[in-house]
Amino acid sequence: MLSSRLLLLLNAFIAFAFAGSDYHEQLLLRPLPQDTLLASFNFRSNESQASFEQQNFRYVPRSLGQILQHAHTQELHLRFSVGRWDAENWGQRPHQGSREGGTGVELWAWIEAETEEQASARWLTLTNALSGLFCASLNFIDATKTIRPVMAFSPEGDHRNAPNLHLLHGTLPHEVVCTENLTPFLKLLPCKGKAGISSLLDGHKLFDASFQTMAIDVRPVCGLESGKCSLEMEQSVDMVLDIARSKRPKDNPIPRPLPIDQIECDTSKGFNAQDTCFPLNKGTEPGWTLEEVFGKPLRGSCPLVEDGEDSNSVCINTPPERTIEVRSNGDFSESRLASDTLRCYKLPVGADFDLVLPEQKMTTGLVRSDPALFAARSINGHGQERGSTQAIIRNPSTSEAVEFVYLESLPWFMKPYLHTLRATVDTSSESPIKETYYKPALDRQRGTHLELRMVIPPSSTLTLTYEFEKAILRYTEYPPDANRGFDVAPAVLRVLTPQAADKKGIYIRTTSLLLPLPTPDFSMPYNVIILTSTVMALGFGNIFNLLVRRFVGADEVPAAAGGLKGVLQAKIAGIKAKLGRA
Amino acid sequence: MALISSLLALRRDARILKIPPYLSALCIVIGIAWLLVLPLNDYSRNTYVSENALLPGQVHTYFAGSEHNVFRAYRHEVWGLNEKPVAERSQRLADMFRSNNLKVATQKYSYHVSNRTIANENVYAILQGPRADATEAIVLIGAWKNMQDEANTSGVALVLTLARYFKRWSLWSKDIIFLVSGDSTTGPQAWVDAYHDGHDERHVERLKIKSGALQAAVAVDYPAGPWGHRYDKLHVLYDGVNGQLPNLDLFNTAVQIASSQMGIGCAIQRMFDHRDSYKERLHTMLRGMVSQGLGHATGPHSSFIPYHVDAITLSTVGDGWHDEMSLGKTIESLFRSLNNLLEHLHQSFFFYLLIQANRFISIGTYLPSAMLIAVNFSITSIALWVASGRSTEPIPNPAATAPLEDEPVKEKTAEKSATVTPPTSSEKPDMELVEQNGAKALVPAASTTITERHLLFPLLSVLTMHFLGLLPLYLFNTWSSDTLPALYLTMANATTLFPLLVAWFFAELRPLSHQENTLIQCFSLLLLGMILAALATLNFSQSFLIGVLAAPLSFVRKTNKTWLTVLQLILLALINPVMVAQWSAKLLGADLNHVLVLAAQGWAVWGLWTQVTVWLVWFPAWVCATVVVAGGAVEGGIL
Repeated sequence: MLSSRLLLLLNAFIAFAFAGSDYHEQLLLRPLPQDTLLASFNFRSNESQASFEQQNFRYVPRSLGQILQHAHTQELHLRFSVGRWDAENWGQRPHQGSREGGTGVELWAWIEAETEEQASARWLTLTNALSGLFCASLNFIDATKTIRPVMAFSPEGDHRNAPNLHLLHGTLPHEVVCTENLTPFLKLLPCKGKAGISSLLDGHKLFDASFQTMAIDVRPVCGLESGKCSLEMEQSVDMVLDIARSKRPKDNPIPRPLPIDQIECDTSKGFNAQDTCFPLNKGTEPGWTLEEVFGKPLRGSCPLVEDGEDSNSVCINTPPERTIEVRSNGDFSESRLASDTLRCYKLPVGADFDLVLPEQKMTTGLVRSDPALFAARSINGHGQERGSTQAIIRNPSTSEAVEFVYLESLPWFMKPYLHTLRATVDTSSESPIKETYYKPALDRQRGTHLELRMVIPPSSTLTLTYEFEKAILRYTEYPPDANRGFDVAPAVLRVLTPQAADKKGIYIRTTSLLLPLPTPDFSMPYNVIILTSTVMALGFGNIFNLLVRRFVGADEVPAAAGGLKGVLQAKIAGIKAKLGRA
Repeated sequence: MALISSLLALRRDARILKIPPYLSALCIVIGIAWLLVLPLNDYSRNTYVSENALLPGQVHTYFAGSEHNVFRAYRHEVWGLNEKPVAERSQRLADMFRSNNLKVATQKYSYHVSNRTIANENVYAILQGPRADATEAIVLIGAWKNMQDEANTSGVALVLTLARYFKRWSLWSKDIIFLVSGDSTTGPQAWVDAYHDGHDERHVERLKIKSGALQAAVAVDYPAGPWGHRYDKLHVLYDGVNGQLPNLDLFNTAVQIASSQMGIGCAIQRMFDHRDSYKERLHTMLRGMVSQGLGHATGPHSSFIPYHVDAITLSTVGDGWHDEMSLGKTIESLFRSLNNLLEHLHQSFFFYLLIQANRFISIGTYLPSAMLIAVNFSITSIALWVASGRSTEPIPNPAATAPLEDEPVKEKTAEKSATVTPPTSSEKPDMELVEQNGAKALVPAASTTITERHLLFPLLSVLTMHFLGLLPLYLFNTWSSDTLPALYLTMANATTLFPLLVAWFFAELRPLSHQENTLIQCFSLLLLGMILAALATLNFSQSFLIGVLAAPLSFVRKTNKTWLTVLQLILLALINPVMVAQWSAKLLGADLNHVLVLAAQGWAVWGLWTQVTVWLVWFPAWVCATVVVAGGAVEGGIL
């Protein structure tokens, strides 16, 4: 229970923190089970609406601000994600899933426009511009990958001109997120990864994480009393590091088997011997330092963070008994919050800062809170023609029913049969589906958009299945790696009740799916092309020869005299012919 | 035009009608000879890896050092679980996987086949690829018991050790599933069925956790006890259920890694001492064909192949100097290669015959042989169809050839009537005047009369015979395993006597005309030829073997000669599918009762189609031919 109380405290802490300053950054570290470490980076900057409109940018980067203005985008959410959040072991997601995206790239935005067509045009502008800015294939989010969700998302910001706002949502599940996306992300920060907590972000470690998600959220915020509005931009990175893997030195990253004397053996086994070792888990928290797991030192605080009570930049959430040493040459301060389970540090300016946690045997631990729902989705069946999708959603709560929205955005070549849609709950015979929103696909124009509002009774499991047919694509519509299959975007679950504490909402995303489609043998068309070309070439060559060559008898050819004389005669004859023609 | 008309004239030539049996025989001879030349260098090729991404043997393997100590401990631990009840065993295996931070689940299954219960439990663990997105997975299988029902102690221990070792690597682009199945054939089948949601909830439990689309599966069979055993070679098993084969690239990768990188020899089809001679190549190929033709599961990998998951089993054989670590390194290297795959294995061959671990025959080269065998039935069938449309009276050769007698026929029958002339003598055939475009010709009457074919009765009889096959199909797959030998004996006697009985009934109740006999044979051979040709593209070996064993059906005829009838009946009794099962089991050294039990299990669990082809294709064809021949025996008074 400690941890859930702690979470609430943390949220309040963060909410309080940003109100006063124009730029704020914070790193929250939390050791998770199985020797992993959750690191949540959060960077927040404010710009008043007036100065934003006058293109007077301070903390909000100009490059992004101008794109937003040009595309008339009022609110923007962009996500880059790799890996899976292991809810069974790690519990609730950071920010309750509201700062997380599906595998690959996910983008949704509220765009101001008079008509739907105008909104689509502006959406296209936005995706193309962001594509350039973030070195991602966002420009591939075309009409077939765009949907207009109805229930699954609601605006986080305070909007004045609500009726003219259009919500558009697009995903790229196959996009591989890598360093080329991190660099532009860091460039948007005021300290650009040179100082402050962002100096810890290193591509090698970030993309070696078991789970990582980068988020950019831009929204307008208006004060209740003052009525003054400002534009808030939030950048966050959540990553789960495997401590053992991250600690491996850069020059020797291969996980060679450890020397036998470094492995603890179970000596109680009868067969234990010099050459026989049953490995035993030590049962201790591994030791680590910031520099070890992030591969870079933390280079003091970002000077742009305004001084104040809330300028604690690094916080670590551990039981009070965990030993933590601080290694720094500069001035830092430590404060303990939430009954000592949260230790926060104010970073020194211009001096390195490091946290050292030695290996330690723990007697107490933090209680991790369960997420509101567990969700898993998979493709069933086999063969080239048909298949079915199965989503299993479990409500772990023993007392509360959970109401949620299930959003599915399918590519057009995966054609679901809505009449086969079945949702069953194992504890009741009542249909859990309360509301359905369905927009069928149009071949090559738009994908399927399905939203279901459902309720799961306490401690029950909901199974959602539907069958689909696989379309046959045109020969040129296959990607270069056609035999891999096609990625289907993750389903998005938004929990409606219990309600979220803030406007961000509670979200859960499933993993993406791989849909194998009937694929032609691509060597066949090439064989046909090659064969046809050969026949064409032979035919053309012969006919061309017949047309342009003159065939004469051997005796009709003027006999050329040999030797120098002959050559000269031929030349003279040639010149004569030329002159004569001229 | 002249050419066409002379060809049309040939159509009536009695000599043409004599050709089909020889043509059929030629097809069979060429078909078999074709197969015999395949092992020669000119018709087979060296294997090669087609998929560039695989890069077999290009990585360093690090599975060594302290892993060996851990492996020994796991081997002792697994050995200790051998005597334990299934639930405790699963619990302990799950704990061992869980201690390495893997996600673990179990799956119970219990099938009821021929009145016995096959029940056990699978344990599997999923290693989630650090950078993978749960879309693809590869499987490493260690069955608790191998195909010979020995405890696969070292194999399971190796799977556990590799799970611990693989977990530390961050390079996996796909999930890796470690499956310890309860047995070698039913367990993997239950698991892979449930993975694709194609299972029957009554027998097989649903899988609690799943990963992405399966890309490949590798099974380890290393039945060495707690003190280990040094082996000589790796036996690579690749036959899937119903004769389906894995992509040749997977096989090649395994062979190349084992032989080039690790220096372990590879054998296939139990040819452990292969010196690459013609005889041994042929032997290997024939063993492969028998295995493929029977379509049974040959290892834990077999169940995966029908789901388009390429799979092989690596089994250790012999006494040599290779130890468990070299097998572990082979698997490590193989998994690193599979991890490189960007697409599902699709580049190389799915249809091939292997004659050696690194030589194969592709489908284009071997297919004609089975097709020729199948074509022989179609040729005979067409010939019989033509024959059934002719009158039974012999037709003398037309005028183009020499007349029957020296005297000119023309003068004798030069009357201007278009009616049939009265027979002038018993030797002379009826003649008829035909007039076309003012030209007149005198032809034998028999060649212009139209013989009507009465199709209903022959067609119904052939279809009935085919449906009758359902009865033994049902009986053999549902009766209890104790009664199967008795059922087999009864069936062997019944099927031998059945055609004679049918022939006797026909003779008593409704004697079959010559035309009906011909048509029954014609339809039955037509069906056989068509089905075998289609089958050749799916399961070449099965089609070929059935084709060869059924080849005499093209040549047996109803005859009045007693000795020929008896000879034909003896031959037919030998090639009765039921008897073939008997003598081929003896020839191959298999226990017939075990085969019957396995066949029933195959039908119920693996989805085996072999019985369908035997009982609904081969058996009815045999019955039809035998009924026709037995008709002669009944008329001849033998019976």
